[in-house]
Amino acid sequence: MNIKKQVAIIGGGIAGLEAASVLIKQGLSVTIFEKQNREGGMLNHWSKLFPDFASSNQILDQYKVKRNNLNVFYNTQISSIKPKDNKFEISDNCNLKFYADSVLLSTGYKVFDATLKEEYGYGLFYNVITSVDFERIHKSGELLKTASGKQPKRVAIIHCVGSRDAKVGNTYCSKVCCITGVKQAIEINKMLPDCEVFNFYMDLRLYGSKYDALYLEAQKRHKIQFIRGRLSEVSEKEDMSLQIKAEDTLQGRPLRMNVDMVILLVGMEADELNPDLCKQTNLQLDENRFFKSKNMQTSRCGSTQIGVFLSGCCICPMTVNETLDNARSAAFEVVNYLNSDAHE
Amino acid sequence: MKSLTHLLNKDVRLKEGLNACMNCGICTAICPAAEYFEYDPRTIVNAVQSHNEEMIQKLIESDTIWMCGQCMSCKTRCPRNNCPGLIINILRKISQETGAFIKSRLGRQQFLLVKTIGANILKYGYCVNPHSVIPSGHPEQGPVWEWIYENKEKVYERVGANLDKEGAGAMRKIDQEDLNDLDYIFTESGGKLLFQTIEKYSMKKAFELGFTDSKGNPDMERYIDYLQNEDDEE
Repeated sequence: MNIKKQVAIIGGGIAGLEAASVLIKQGLSVTIFEKQNREGGMLNHWSKLFPDFASSNQILDQYKVKRNNLNVFYNTQISSIKPKDNKFEISDNCNLKFYADSVLLSTGYKVFDATLKEEYGYGLFYNVITSVDFERIHKSGELLKTASGKQPKRVAIIHCVGSRDAKVGNTYCSKVCCITGVKQAIEINKMLPDCEVFNFYMDLRLYGSKYDALYLEAQKRHKIQFIRGRLSEVSEKEDMSLQIKAEDTLQGRPLRMNVDMVILLVGMEADELNPDLCKQTNLQLDENRFFKSKNMQTSRCGSTQIGVFLSGCCICPMTVNETLDNARSAAFEVVNYLNSDAHE
Repeated sequence: MKSLTHLLNKDVRLKEGLNACMNCGICTAICPAAEYFEYDPRTIVNAVQSHNEEMIQKLIESDTIWMCGQCMSCKTRCPRNNCPGLIINILRKISQETGAFIKSRLGRQQFLLVKTIGANILKYGYCVNPHSVIPSGHPEQGPVWEWIYENKEKVYERVGANLDKEGAGAMRKIDQEDLNDLDYIFTESGGKLLFQTIEKYSMKKAFELGFTDSKGNPDMERYIDYLQNEDDEE
């Protein structure tokens, strides 16, 4: 009799779910530990995806179909991993213990806390929102409205909030925000055709397939304006509209502009609990506090701990498409490990 | 002559002031001087970063570097932890040391500062002292200033200051021992040498402008008068 090997997946976002579906097909026994009361992770908060405006629900619904033979523990926050006799003992914060032959981390990311960039006024001024707030509004099917219930006539979308910024300790690029900014600008124009939209960027990093086409569409069809300059501050006027300050660096001139709303494109950060998972293992974090890969080029999904693998945004910021590709790679690394002599 | 880039690199402050600039413009966006003058700290940093000798030479001869108010707001915003204000400080020092400052109107004002604030700190122990703010040279003080200046003993006593007297209190007399210390600091730190350098180049400029006395020496009284009335439309 062949006893099925056990794989524990920590985090039931799309990376964990995708890896799980591959591993189950390979005949392994898979358990997902999810801290929330539902799976899907951060994708639950997104409305439409770039570059094709696919619905996030469509992707999430796929996993409802693929659920056969999948064990999921909800409301379970894993706080430690410990190698033990060629296996791993993982404990949740109620000190319940689980055992697995291999562990796949898909703990994802957290969104940058925009209140830390106090000069942008999030949490202080009513009409400053984040890209995450915008997704929620869009998903609800409502129109974008100012705090006083009016349709905004002018919106500024601010790139690089919490990314590429030594002042908040994040010098890396979150990679998805530029294209999100282009996408959300188009969505605003579709919602409110009379609303002017300005994107304030440092460098437009639209590296993905068909992303530049979206940029072109934003400029040509939707008349979105792009201004190269990083915002120094937002201030609120008496009528709750906002004044923003930047340099138009291509003109070499300081610029002040009045807008009705500001949307901050918040970056992605490593999960705060990552250090806990490193404590009793050889797992390491990289300089950006994400999990360190075994090799940047050849083994992105391998961790610095034998038998523990990484998938999705716990490695670095990724798009949905990259996350799913990466999760499948990670699943095959797990399979290879469990079939290898090293494990026997 | 050593390159300007070499002079910049020699100043320890450059290491703190300039990591690497990505030209985001946030320094210019926060800069109060940039709102008021034709002034762009980002392009100054970029000139220094690119080691562009020609542009750096132009900068140290320009009014531009003297427009910065040294408020250091730029430091609070820069996402690369640069400090444009500090870089400008270094450019100013190079401008003073190489004499490039006499080529710009705002640069030439250095001589007035040496003669006022520079002289005051060593003489009184204060950068600004009531005795040195002579009404005829300070119209910005308004019409009441002349009266205050003439009645300063009574006025300062009335507001609780201790003008020129021993002991505690505002505007008190600074002990000779402390003035000696200050003098020593200015000698050792190179402050006095910098004053002398600025004076030397200013004399050269006065000479160039034809402000000379009967013996053919530079007439600095006339030069000061020229500086005070120099039009900002050149």
